[in-house]
Amino acid sequence: MWVLAGAAVAVAALGAGAVAWAQGTRPARAAAAPLDDYSGLPHTTVQISVGSCGSGWTSPHTGLQVFDLSGTGAVAADAYLETSAGAVVGEVEGLAPGTTRPIVVRLAAGSYDFQCLPQDDSAVKGPVVRVTGSGGGSPAVVPVTQQDLIPPTLLYQKWVAAQLPGLVRDTETVQAAVDRGDLAAARAAWLPAHLDYERLGAAYGTFGDLDDSINGTTKGLPGGLTDPGFTGFHRLEYGLWHGQSAAALAPVAARLSQDVRSLQTQWKTAQMDPLLLGLRAHEIVENTIQFELTGRTDYGSGSNLATARANLQGTAEALTLLHPLLASRMTTLPQINADMATAEAELTGLGDVPPASLSTTRREQLNADFGQLVDDLAPIAAVCDVRRTS
Amino acid sequence: MNGRNPHPAAQPGEQQDGRVGRRSVLRGALAAGAVGAAAAASTGSAPAAADSTDAPATASGYPFEGIHQAGVLTPKQRSAAFVSFDVTAADRAGLSDLLRTLTERLRFLTAGGVPEPLGISAPPSDSGVLGPVVPADGLTATLAVGSSLFDERFGLAARKPLRLRPMTSFPDDDLDPAWCQGDLMLQLCADNQDTVAHALRDLAMHTRGAMQVRWRIDGFASPPRPTGTPRNLLGFRDGTANPDTGDARTMDQVVWVVPGLGEPAWAVDGSYLAVRVIRMLVEFWDRVSLNEQERMFGRQKASGAPLDGQSETDAPKYPADPTGDIIPLDSHMRLANPRTAGTDGLRMLRRGYNYDLGTDSNGNLDMGLVFCAFQQDLDRQFVAVQNRLAGEPLVDYISPYGGGYFFVLPGVRGPQDWLGSSLLA
Repeated sequence: MWVLAGAAVAVAALGAGAVAWAQGTRPARAAAAPLDDYSGLPHTTVQISVGSCGSGWTSPHTGLQVFDLSGTGAVAADAYLETSAGAVVGEVEGLAPGTTRPIVVRLAAGSYDFQCLPQDDSAVKGPVVRVTGSGGGSPAVVPVTQQDLIPPTLLYQKWVAAQLPGLVRDTETVQAAVDRGDLAAARAAWLPAHLDYERLGAAYGTFGDLDDSINGTTKGLPGGLTDPGFTGFHRLEYGLWHGQSAAALAPVAARLSQDVRSLQTQWKTAQMDPLLLGLRAHEIVENTIQFELTGRTDYGSGSNLATARANLQGTAEALTLLHPLLASRMTTLPQINADMATAEAELTGLGDVPPASLSTTRREQLNADFGQLVDDLAPIAAVCDVRRTS
Repeated sequence: MNGRNPHPAAQPGEQQDGRVGRRSVLRGALAAGAVGAAAAASTGSAPAAADSTDAPATASGYPFEGIHQAGVLTPKQRSAAFVSFDVTAADRAGLSDLLRTLTERLRFLTAGGVPEPLGISAPPSDSGVLGPVVPADGLTATLAVGSSLFDERFGLAARKPLRLRPMTSFPDDDLDPAWCQGDLMLQLCADNQDTVAHALRDLAMHTRGAMQVRWRIDGFASPPRPTGTPRNLLGFRDGTANPDTGDARTMDQVVWVVPGLGEPAWAVDGSYLAVRVIRMLVEFWDRVSLNEQERMFGRQKASGAPLDGQSETDAPKYPADPTGDIIPLDSHMRLANPRTAGTDGLRMLRRGYNYDLGTDSNGNLDMGLVFCAFQQDLDRQFVAVQNRLAGEPLVDYISPYGGGYFFVLPGVRGPQDWLGSSLLA
């Protein structure tokens, strides 16, 4: 303790990690709250452990305040401050023994308790505390559990599985056109096949290495456009729109067909992490903003806006499946639907032109619509983070 | 905490003015249980009648409310961003929501305080760039409107300030449309650059669908070297002859729109803002002899004194030098303000910042001045002076390529008021 007391400022600058280190030899002892700069707010130190969950909350009041959660148990624990309806107002995840972490909340009048969820042990609820006073409170949301997320995740896996035959078929159509040397037909068939894939919204690694192989760009490839690792839709796109011969592209098309068939096979046994569905809700559109609206992934077809529309369709599917979980937890779903409609209408109005050809005004409008959409989608991932309740 | 600023918004349970759910104003309440947007302003607000620029500032914060907006007469802070936005909101109601949201966020950001906790309902409400408690850090925001806001989109055509129009090219300009105009101009100034960046990030997050950045340039004010008015990147003191911002009467003649000028009634207590992004060809400049440099400005480089004087604050004695033997007739200083009868009305309040944008594609340093001038009458002041400067010897060493004309909205008068309320009334 002397380290904290004697050099509190220096230690606080290092944050919670330093506190944990200083306390390392006596894990069960409560640490002093680290200096957190919330010195203008009222603080309450509360114990988080199986035996004394929530103890220390002796003078409840409404308003903006800090709870310093002190891990006094033997193992790390999650902790929620929740309403009598089980809606979480504030949380700390993985509070290490012997450490203290602040949560800032604004409390309205009502009944609250702390719930302590030690690792590998059952949840314990602390005493119910009655808070009186006036003013509004921080948003409170009923946690979403793994159990809650399994049904929509399974449905999502099924939906993807149902899309894959179309992807395989359309990709084979491209391959056939390349094989018979009809590059005009190959160019025409390339976009439907690519959109089949983009509709799946394979954002941020859901399909693992196969996604790189099927839809990768030259990013990270030392040899750039001629790197042997540059394969898939964009490699084919580059060749089709840059005068490469059918003979040169035949192996590229064959590899792509093979990769999407592999995806179809692997997907049958794949198990999607339930955490992913909530993330998908905004990450697909994050991808759209980063790679499509900027034209980054254009290798000649100029089809980024069509891709953006396919991405919206993938997002819509995730939203539909999550709707039963979100309806009672988020009041912004109508706004999100309106944002989706606005973004889609904007794309429809623009037609399939390369983003770089848009006027400043049109481009600003498009970026505004997608920016608003993704900002409104982001809370879904926060709400759908997998949480324990027992 | 440095003890200079009481951080009023951080007092227990008293941060109602900062209580804004993300996007709550633009898009409705965020999540179940979210408190309604923005209750009454609490502590720390200036009385409605006070002028933000007259009211005593705490050492690290300036009052947000006032008859005039802050950031005009405010002593120049060290860091600034000039951000031009185009409004993407669909209609007048959307524009009104946008301006209310900006007002609400700026109320919080300029006062500082604890960002509103959102629990598990959303990502954090604040980027955390300034730490868990947002310091005021001398932040001011000055919002101005461009002439394009008065087109057919928002039904404001009849309310356009008399002299507001797009900035057209002067003979020595080399304007790049990508660096010109904008529906809105937001000047953010603070004691530190991270505070400026934090504010811009916060404002963008809360207005994502309603406006988009058209162009932006950051600026810095140099410290006095070694004393006196800070220097620009040509090495000369810039802003020496500014009118006295402490003299309210002068400010009403030079800076603020007052009744009786033929401006729309809503525009009273506003001001015209000319922003000019001016590259300085510093490599070329550094190859010019000191004498030639000083004759171009009319001042001594080291002291800032007029060429006929001893110290920076000395007034040039033009009548004694009618043929410009000492201070050339075509020197920047003498052309801009010849100090003859009737030229008093040319004076404006310059509040520019240096900029440094790295290098151009050929490796030349891309640095210069974000010229920024506030005035009562764009034509009588900035435009007239600029016309007087046409062809001055200095033009070979500078290249104005961006900027625009804007009209600074009147100040926010009280807890219920918002930026642009008189315009949209």
